[in-house]
Amino acid sequence: MKLPLNLKVNGRAYALEIESHRTLTEILRDKLGLLGTKEGCGTGKCGACTVILNGRPVNSCLLLAVQAEGAEITTIEGLAIDGQPDPLQQAFVNLGAVQCGFCTPGMILTAKALLDSQPNPGPEQINQALSGNLCRCTGYNKITEAVLACATGEKETGDA
Amino acid sequence: MRIRPFEYLAASSLEEAVELLSRSGSKARLLAGGTDLVPAMKKGQEQPEKIIGLGAIPGLEGVRLSQGGLSIGALSRLADLAINPLLLQHAPALARAVGLIGSWQIRGVATIGGNICHASPAADSAGPLLALEAEVKALGPQGRRTIPLTEFFTGPGQTCLAGDELVESLELPLAQGRPAQTYLKLMRKKAVDLALVGVAVCLEMDSESQSLSKVALALGGVAATPIRVPEAELLLLGKSPAKALSLASEASRLAANGCRPITDVRASAAYRKQMVKVFVRRGLTQVLNQLSGQAQAGGAG
Repeated sequence: MKLPLNLKVNGRAYALEIESHRTLTEILRDKLGLLGTKEGCGTGKCGACTVILNGRPVNSCLLLAVQAEGAEITTIEGLAIDGQPDPLQQAFVNLGAVQCGFCTPGMILTAKALLDSQPNPGPEQINQALSGNLCRCTGYNKITEAVLACATGEKETGDA
Repeated sequence: MRIRPFEYLAASSLEEAVELLSRSGSKARLLAGGTDLVPAMKKGQEQPEKIIGLGAIPGLEGVRLSQGGLSIGALSRLADLAINPLLLQHAPALARAVGLIGSWQIRGVATIGGNICHASPAADSAGPLLALEAEVKALGPQGRRTIPLTEFFTGPGQTCLAGDELVESLELPLAQGRPAQTYLKLMRKKAVDLALVGVAVCLEMDSESQSLSKVALALGGVAATPIRVPEAELLLLGKSPAKALSLASEASRLAANGCRPITDVRASAAYRKQMVKVFVRRGLTQVLNQLSGQAQAGGAG
C-alpha cells in the first residue's frame, strides 16, 4: 500500500511516497541514497542501523518508515559540516576506533546522542549507552577512549 | 525475510483504533513502538493484513497523578519512564526495570503497553507492576474496563484481552510512606538480554509500629506468567525490618519453591530456581537494609 511520508533528514525536508511495509533503513538507503546507515542483523540487536530520530538513537531496521512521519532524522552523513568532520568522528579516526567501519556510523551516532545529553560521561556510562552497538573488530576499548577523548576535548576547548 | 505488504491505517483517536480493530478481526495488529511486532513480521511469525498505528493518538504517553494513584499511558516510551520523576519517587522498581529492557535504541521506541501485551513470562515491567498491584485500563467496543494485572497474563504470550480490546493505561495505587523497592535482573551478559530471572521486591513500612505493612515479591521468567509468591511474602509481613532480614534466607527458599521454571536455550530450570533464591535474598537484604537505616535515623532516611 502506497503512503505519503514527510520527514526531515540531515536538515533537508523530503515529501516521499513509500510502500507501507518498508523499514526506515530501506527508505534511507534505497530511496534517499544515504548508504552510511547499515543493515547488520536486521532484528534490532547490533545497532549498525542506528540513526538519531527526534534526538533519540533508534534502530532504523525496526521502524516501519511510516513511524518516521514528521520526524527529524540525523544519519552519519549529517554530522560533518561543510566537509569538516564532527569532533567525535575525528576522535574515532585519531584513536584507532575504526577498523572495518561497519559498526562505526551507528556507534558514532549513539555516542553523539549520549554527549548531547551528557557532556561529561564516565567510561561506565559510555559503555552502558553503547551497549546496543556491537563491534566485531576493535574490542571496544578504543571506541570508549574516543568518546571519552571527545568529551574531554570539548571541555578543554570550551565547546558545549 | 522481507516484511509482507499490509494495509496501514493510522488511528487518530482511541475510539477510532477500537473501531478499526473490531472491524478488522484477527487479521489486524496494533502498532505501538513495533519493537516486538516488526521483528516478528521479519521472521514470518506475524503476517497481518492490516496494521493499525497508534502513534498519532494524543494523550497516551506520560505519567500523571490521578485519584490518589499513578496513571501511566500505554504508549509511554520505556526510556522516558526510566527517568520519569513521578515513577522514580513512587515506583522506583518499575523505573529501574524498564531501564533494563533491551538497549537505549530499543527503549526510545518501545512502549510499556507493548511490553505487557506481548506478555513474555520474563517481561521486566511485569514483576514491578504485579508487586505494585497495578491495574490495566482497557478499552473495547463495549466501553472501558479495569483488569487487575493478576488476571491479565493467562499464559506465555497470552493475555485476557478480547480481540477487539486495547490497553489505554496502567493504574498504580500510591505507596503509603516512602517506597523501599528494587528490581534485579539476571542476564547472560551485562546488558541487552532477556531476563533469565527477574525479581521485584516492593516493601512498605508503617512508621508508627516500625513493621512491614506491605511485602510484595514478584518473579519473572520462572513460570508460565509473571507471578507473586505469597508464601514468602506472608513470612515477612508485619515483622520489623531487622526481624525480616533474619528471615530473608527462609523467604528466598519459599520463593524458589513457589516458582515453576522451564529449561530452555538460555538456562536450565534448576539454575533458574537457584537464582530465584539468590536474587530474592539479595533484593530483600538490599531493601531491608535501606529500611533499617531509615528506621534507625527516625524515618529520615
